[in-house]
Amino acid sequence: MAEMKNKENLKGMFATWVILTVVGVAIGVWGPARLMPRSMSDNMHLTILTMVVFTVAAAPVAAGVYAVALHALRHWVHKGDNVPAPAADQTRENATLTASWLIASTVLTVFLLIWGLGALAVDNGSSGRNPLVVDVTGQQWVWTFSYPGTNVQSPTLVLPEGRTVDFHIKALDVTHGFWIANMGVQVDANVGTTTMIHTTPTALGQFDIRCTQFCGLNHAFMVTTGEVVSKAQFNSWLASQSQKA
Amino acid sequence: MERSKAFGTALASILLGGGALALAGYALASASPHQAALVCQATTTGNCTLAISSFPDSLAGEHGKTGGAHPDWVSYSNDNLVAPANTTVTMTISQYDSGGALNNKAFFGRVWGTVGGTATIATPNTAGTSYTTATVTKVDGSNVGHTFTLRGVPGNGSPLFVSVPLPASPSTNSITVGDAQYGSPVKVTFSFKTGGPGVYEWNCEYPCGGSREGQFGFAMSSYGYMSGTLTVK
Repeated sequence: MAEMKNKENLKGMFATWVILTVVGVAIGVWGPARLMPRSMSDNMHLTILTMVVFTVAAAPVAAGVYAVALHALRHWVHKGDNVPAPAADQTRENATLTASWLIASTVLTVFLLIWGLGALAVDNGSSGRNPLVVDVTGQQWVWTFSYPGTNVQSPTLVLPEGRTVDFHIKALDVTHGFWIANMGVQVDANVGTTTMIHTTPTALGQFDIRCTQFCGLNHAFMVTTGEVVSKAQFNSWLASQSQKA
Repeated sequence: MERSKAFGTALASILLGGGALALAGYALASASPHQAALVCQATTTGNCTLAISSFPDSLAGEHGKTGGAHPDWVSYSNDNLVAPANTTVTMTISQYDSGGALNNKAFFGRVWGTVGGTATIATPNTAGTSYTTATVTKVDGSNVGHTFTLRGVPGNGSPLFVSVPLPASPSTNSITVGDAQYGSPVKVTFSFKTGGPGVYEWNCEYPCGGSREGQFGFAMSSYGYMSGTLTVK
């Protein structure tokens, strides 16, 4: 009788796990693209895709934990002050269950590791031929962008669509963090060292640039704007700025 | 009955807690962190002068004879400076404190944004009986007492950046400032041009804030000690 009841309960737990997994997968597929900043570069596409894959992969694991927790709350509640007697139908040393859990965990972890290393390799890979180099300088609490080969220095960042950009980033005073959320670009700006990161803008429009390292009194205001424009507009902007300088 | 009583108690607790939080937030937001204004004194040439000091404690400045809440914290004499717009301000800082190495010696050891890119530094001898004066563009970043680093606040006023290192005082003599005793100060004089009206912020960049936050805690992270504002009108 107790065994039958236990099996029914386990079926209920399995059903809960399936439902929660479906919900988790749905959130994983739907959420990142809508909750994260709008993608404007290849890096950000990859970042959003990584979030989707990782959330979907984590969904059955999280659902398993929640299903067991809910099952415990529903069926393993003990009322009264006395210490409950051990249940007669405990599941212990179930080799199939243990092996399944170990194999599933290992497969998931190795998959996430390989995916993560692949994403890192893409981020750190070559920036291709003819990248646009932009020197980025952080100083409390302003960003300055200069375009080597020209005399242009600007407090805002203008980039051409479709051309890979190599950011060469440094700080003059203290450590800052160069972050363009829409482009999936985030790297520290250090004193005495130039850090490099590249991206290819894939969408026209404006974006914000923020500092991600607490850098003093007005760190919160170390924000500027940028814009991705067409190649023709970029060349025109560069020429006009060059004349102003 | 019991249930409605419990509900009423819970609701009252939430309202009271929320009210207390709102009140605390309002008090914090409206609390003025500033001391009495120190206004730049006009000169006959149309410019103006400001004189402040940096002390190894809080006994001789605006915190009063007792030093206020933290008498042992390093402090500037005043945190609320006022100057007219588009004017050359000549500032003299008497630096009474000892010192050490800056975190970024090359950058904060340099004079930035002053007229001519220089500062004039009068250094006393150890007995405090005589001074040696030199006009410099940088100092030894490993022997700095404090810095006076003034910047525009993004979105408030014109772009401005002035940073002057204040060397450590070598004096071992004892002079009286207010009711406190210090060695003779290093006197650093420099000029800079104010831009348009706005509130500009200055602070020290020497890690003199004690043992917290990489020596940027305590006096370095509290109003009225090692930071302040320059209000340009």
